[in-house]
Amino acid sequence: MRFMVMVKASKETEAGVMPSEAMLTAMGQFNEEMVKAGVMQAGEGLHPSSKGARIRFTGKDVAVTDGPFPATGELVCGFWLIQTKSRDEAIAWMKRAPFDAGSELELRQVFEAEDFGDAFTPELREQEERLRAKAAKQ
Amino acid sequence: MRFMMLMIPKGYETAAPDVELDPARVTEMMKYNEALQQAGVLITLDGLHPPSVGARVSFEGGKPLVTDGPFAEAKEVLGGYWMIDVASRDEAIAWAKRCPASENEIIEIRQVQEMADFTPEVQEAAAGLDRLRTGSGRS
Repeated sequence: MRFMVMVKASKETEAGVMPSEAMLTAMGQFNEEMVKAGVMQAGEGLHPSSKGARIRFTGKDVAVTDGPFPATGELVCGFWLIQTKSRDEAIAWMKRAPFDAGSELELRQVFEAEDFGDAFTPELREQEERLRAKAAKQ
Repeated sequence: MRFMMLMIPKGYETAAPDVELDPARVTEMMKYNEALQQAGVLITLDGLHPPSVGARVSFEGGKPLVTDGPFAEAKEVLGGYWMIDVASRDEAIAWAKRCPASENEIIEIRQVQEMADFTPEVQEAAAGLDRLRTGSGRS
């Protein structure tokens, strides 16, 4: 099973405060452990929402709003993509993440082809596989 | 520049665990994904199960606390994402505008932090990140 782990934004990340050397070192060690265990597939940090944009689809129009976005509780400042045998294993890994008090992560399982049932026809499946293979080479 | 396009479908915060997709919408979205790929822009993409089967880990007071979904206070949740590589923020926005999204959906564009964005001290502390990445391919 694959999980996306979202790191929730805080006042500090939204203000563009970069992590300390100690935090980066601890996080580097945690990532190293996850890679050694074959769990980590990807991980990135995101610039604050002030540099971002939102695109709203209202039916006819497409409206672009520049950041920052007020709902800090719902904003993300980074993510991991991990592969584990179970939801419990994913949670167990993330409980070990070296975060400061007040941090919050959200874990969400990634949809795999088999989750879509008949709606994901053999043709669509083939298209998806082809697309992923090509994208991986870019 | 790498950007994440975060898909935020309104209503997904209360979606049932066995939420079903509309095949016609999947077909439309696949055309868009194909266009991203053909333009050499697409790095990766994924869809996420609803938050009702997700979990949150918070670190209040430094101790991990696990809360199972759904999350009553959530007003917006992620339904999926694309990671793209484009020449500018404007190009990322132009791609998001082309998405065959429904009226209840918002796409948030966020630039990915690259090594060059950090100070020399931070770059030093984060050294080895590329090595971790090359060792973290899908198994």
